[in-house]
Amino acid sequence: MPAITVHGLTKSYGQTLALQDLSFEVEDGEVFGFLGPNGAGKSTTINVLLDFVRPTDGRVEVLGLDAQTHSREIRSRTGVLPEGYQVYDRLTGRQHLEFAIDSKGVDADPDRLLERVGIADAADKKAGGYSKGMAQRLMLAMALVGDPDLLILDEPATGLDPNGAREMREIVRAENDRGATVFFSSHRMEQVEAVCDRVGILRNGEMVAVDSVEGLRDSLEDGTTLRVTVDRIDDDTLQAVRSLSEVSSATVEDGGQPTLVVGVDGSKTAVLGELEDHGIEVRDFSTQEASLEDVFQSYTTEAETGVQAR
Amino acid sequence: MSSEAESATDVPVAERSTRSIDLESVRAIARKDFRDAVRSWLFWGLSVFFFALLVTLTGVISYFGGDVILAEGATTEVLVGQVYGVGSLIIPVIALVLGWKAIAGERESGSIKIMLSLPHSRRDVVLGKLVGRAGVLSLSLLVGFVLAAVPVAVLLGTFDPTDYVGLLAVSILYGIVYTSVAIAVSSVTRSTTFAAAGAFGVFVLFYVVWGTIATAVGFLMAFDYLPESETIAELTMLFQNLNPNAAYGNVLSLVTSAAELGEQEVAALETMFDGSIPFYLQDWFALLILLAWIVIPVALAIYRFDRTDL
Repeated sequence: MPAITVHGLTKSYGQTLALQDLSFEVEDGEVFGFLGPNGAGKSTTINVLLDFVRPTDGRVEVLGLDAQTHSREIRSRTGVLPEGYQVYDRLTGRQHLEFAIDSKGVDADPDRLLERVGIADAADKKAGGYSKGMAQRLMLAMALVGDPDLLILDEPATGLDPNGAREMREIVRAENDRGATVFFSSHRMEQVEAVCDRVGILRNGEMVAVDSVEGLRDSLEDGTTLRVTVDRIDDDTLQAVRSLSEVSSATVEDGGQPTLVVGVDGSKTAVLGELEDHGIEVRDFSTQEASLEDVFQSYTTEAETGVQAR
Repeated sequence: MSSEAESATDVPVAERSTRSIDLESVRAIARKDFRDAVRSWLFWGLSVFFFALLVTLTGVISYFGGDVILAEGATTEVLVGQVYGVGSLIIPVIALVLGWKAIAGERESGSIKIMLSLPHSRRDVVLGKLVGRAGVLSLSLLVGFVLAAVPVAVLLGTFDPTDYVGLLAVSILYGIVYTSVAIAVSSVTRSTTFAAAGAFGVFVLFYVVWGTIATAVGFLMAFDYLPESETIAELTMLFQNLNPNAAYGNVLSLVTSAAELGEQEVAALETMFDGSIPFYLQDWFALLILLAWIVIPVALAIYRFDRTDL
């Protein structure tokens, strides 16, 4: 049974279409990265999962239960780190956790949870005085109350310094090892690539790719980008390079010196050989592995970079 | 309770369904609300205020009208009349101020996402807020009345505990009425500005508009713009009695020995209605009106809030 099933989900706010026929599944026990630029519809999707907003159309199931009719059951087995919240200014960190423990009807130690997220020393301070990072840690602690089967973390790294983001990822891994499914949204690839089993990329309310991290990397035609600085370039040569079987794309960048940007799947020497055969002098060259950030870019920005996803 | 997922895990909260009301949730929310929104100084401040109000009114009675009233042995009923005069203005103001931000404030700041990430239904939120805010008002009334009992008894010389307890009980009920109205106003909007305007509107409605409508109908009949019919006159009286402020006075005369109308006025009414006063002008009906003013606003708030996007 999948932990989350979204089928044909559409949500419109008046004239604005936030989500259009969105479908995906999150498997039980996996860490799923829900990636997309700001405004792509990530929070709207999460709001539907939690029954904060009602879908215009489509079917959503969480932990095998209908997200609307069984929302209370779902939320009793789910830990949530919401986005766009504000902490209760006049409650201390401990009182926040007591509220969560009380609400879930479980037995848990607020101090241990606060210690786990690294704000034990602020337990008795009013949360109104917390920094954004501390508030985020507090929310993570509240999400962990009662060892939930599912963690829904909406932009959990917001406001965290690199160290905090690393600690957060460690907690995600530990929770996943315990058996929890983690659904984790972010607008930055680097947050999810280190920790997620699979990644779904959302753009303008539609899922444009769902795959493992390796799968996404492979899905780019040009696994490697070769940059060759040459003394000159002509159309014949460019055509010849493009027609090589190893080459997926080739463009010319005009700078001080012409530079050939070539997407290569395989041997780079073939490209350099072809250039020399046309009597072109290679002054410098460098290679670059496609980073996941490039993958993300290619899916979420208009195709101007020459990098095309299949 | 049909899903296999529920029977597979032993989470007590999971057994409750979404649209239902759960008393544990209501309690958790009320407790959180009491800690967060109501600071202890506010609670004690209100208690001291009600104490001071009672003692001052008693002092005025015993200083100015002492001998005459004492001779009649009707001191506590005079106090009831005085408290009605001041309380019918002050209690609504306090209740509206305590309640107008209860839900709209959490929606505006986003902290409602923390609350509804936990296994609470929307109904639990409305009721929990009502219990929390009404609790503050009721408890401070109780504390004020208890503290003032001895000075009141000493100042008046005589003391009727039944009238005193009746005055407290009806005042608490009246406070809950306006808290319920305030919570309802707060639940229909995401903007605290609108909520504030709504709370002010409620006050204007019951203190200005309501009376003006009744007076206007009277004038229209007197100047023959409306046919001078008994039905319209009776409807106008019913309308006036539907105002919670009128109901507060009517219920006070039901449970205490302070009669709102003199014997001659009652006799005049009886003549007007051929010997029997219609049910809606009788004091027991006023109790129903007060209860309706608690139940109907909250029911509407739940209906609306259940169906809205956060």
